[in-house]
Amino acid sequence: MPGIWVYSEDNTLARQLLTAGQKLKETMGQPLGVIAISGEEIHAFIAAGADKVYVLQGENSWPESYAGAVADIISKEAASVLLIGGTLRGKDVAAKVAAKRKTGLVTDALTVKYANNRIETTRLVYGGLAVRTEAVSLPALVTIPPRTYAEAEPAADRQGEISTIDAANKDTRLEIRNVCPIVREAVDISTAQRIVCVGRGLAKKEDLAAVEKLVKAIGAEIGCTRGLSEDYHWLPNERYIGISGQKVKPELYISLGVSGQVQHVVGMRDSKLIVAVDTNEKAPIFAAADYGIVGDLYEVLPLLTEAMANK
Amino acid sequence: MPKVLVCYKWVLDEQDIKIKAGDLSLDSGRAKGKISDYDKNAIEAAVLLVEKYGGSAAALTFGNTKVKQSLKDALSRGPGQAYWIGDDAIADKADAFITANILAAAIRKTDSYDLILCGEGSSDVYNQQIAPRIATLLEIPIVTFVKEIGIETEKVIATRKLGECTETIEIKGPAVISVLPEINKPRIPSLKQVMAAAKKPSAEIKVSDLGLARDDLEAKVVVLSDAGYVMNRKNILFKEASQADNVAKLVANLAQEGIS
Repeated sequence: MPGIWVYSEDNTLARQLLTAGQKLKETMGQPLGVIAISGEEIHAFIAAGADKVYVLQGENSWPESYAGAVADIISKEAASVLLIGGTLRGKDVAAKVAAKRKTGLVTDALTVKYANNRIETTRLVYGGLAVRTEAVSLPALVTIPPRTYAEAEPAADRQGEISTIDAANKDTRLEIRNVCPIVREAVDISTAQRIVCVGRGLAKKEDLAAVEKLVKAIGAEIGCTRGLSEDYHWLPNERYIGISGQKVKPELYISLGVSGQVQHVVGMRDSKLIVAVDTNEKAPIFAAADYGIVGDLYEVLPLLTEAMANK
Repeated sequence: MPKVLVCYKWVLDEQDIKIKAGDLSLDSGRAKGKISDYDKNAIEAAVLLVEKYGGSAAALTFGNTKVKQSLKDALSRGPGQAYWIGDDAIADKADAFITANILAAAIRKTDSYDLILCGEGSSDVYNQQIAPRIATLLEIPIVTFVKEIGIETEKVIATRKLGECTETIEIKGPAVISVLPEINKPRIPSLKQVMAAAKKPSAEIKVSDLGLARDDLEAKVVVLSDAGYVMNRKNILFKEASQADNVAKLVANLAQEGIS
């Protein structure tokens, strides 16, 4: 029977998607199901609103290999909607399921609702310059980024149907050789309350020392634009802020020598207060800033550090 | 000696798109076209593979009739030949479903390839769907989000970068790979390469020659509206000649905002 389905290789994300799924369940009047590749949290899914849970068991542990099995369930259940957790692995599976089932798919939806017998979504386009509203005909597939929704609250005494399915997901054409966890610095700038971000206005790597003085003086973390990490390798990749890097929401964000291309601004525009220093008065960063100083960061930085250190 | 095909998209340069103050609609009237930034990495990856292991690299693009303007830039980046599909009526409504159907059919029509490379997403709409969709349609494996590619005796070795780990995968037989921007730094074509590009062959493929059913060209996702993202910031600028004065004013304002 038609229903709303949730799939993620990450159980926490699946519980977040159940929140979105429950809203669709109300508006569409259809049951809500979860497809999982681990059987550890079946009862948590049911408590969080699932009426039915499928656990896929295959001989291949690679999450990307479950696309065929997910597509089969969608077909068998005549699903109206499949919400997929928007991790990189999830997006890979989503596009494969969409191709197998000949459906539409919306990537990284910010909002999802049912209207006019289809699913309407919003998402960012043109590097974050604009929000696009789209309509997907049913059956509709949508990937939703992690942490878009809070986890669904568990309710006591909920009942649900549980099935385990053997997934024929062996693929002799691919062999996973090794998996290495990425060793990250202890700090996570996405949760920092204050950030000083440097851009290409900084002339050389050695000048980071002067920036670090300001960072210390105000108790911040240092961040950078994509160029400084990916092209110059002056700072580690997990410190670059932008659409394909970190998205940050500190109480104070100070940018030094950042021109403010939209791809960068998307990563910081939800900050509470934004301060920018740049030589070019016409730089787009000033449109994104509460306060700006038009000037050379090499002149402004020592003065600002001193002023903030004396507070 | 791999035969490599690289798919690329000709997109509007988002830096040229303006948001109209009144209704927040987008004005792309003055936007120039460019090869999607992520696809420049895919083209470079294809050309580097051929430079290292021999074989050949061809490029394929689908869009409106303006995609013809992209051929010179694409070919000056190193591929030996290009195929283009330009159809205004279809491109205007093409979602990832239609685009993948067209590209997969065009790939079947042109040749058989050992490796098909794509960028991880396009710099305009960043759907990140084309590579997995065409692999599924062509019934060959896909490895997404790759930061390194090598070839070892009949096998392609691809290293992916996911949020929490890297993964190295050995692939036997033809495959699709989508590459991350960090895989390389795309070359800036020299004058000589630009001149040479003019002599390279390019062939137009018509959608009507691809044998697609009408349903394959009906969009599943339709755009209802675009609205510029609005930032409501104070936009207070300190631009006196004396930076000491500017900093003093800034610090005073920050103090009023409760930041010291």
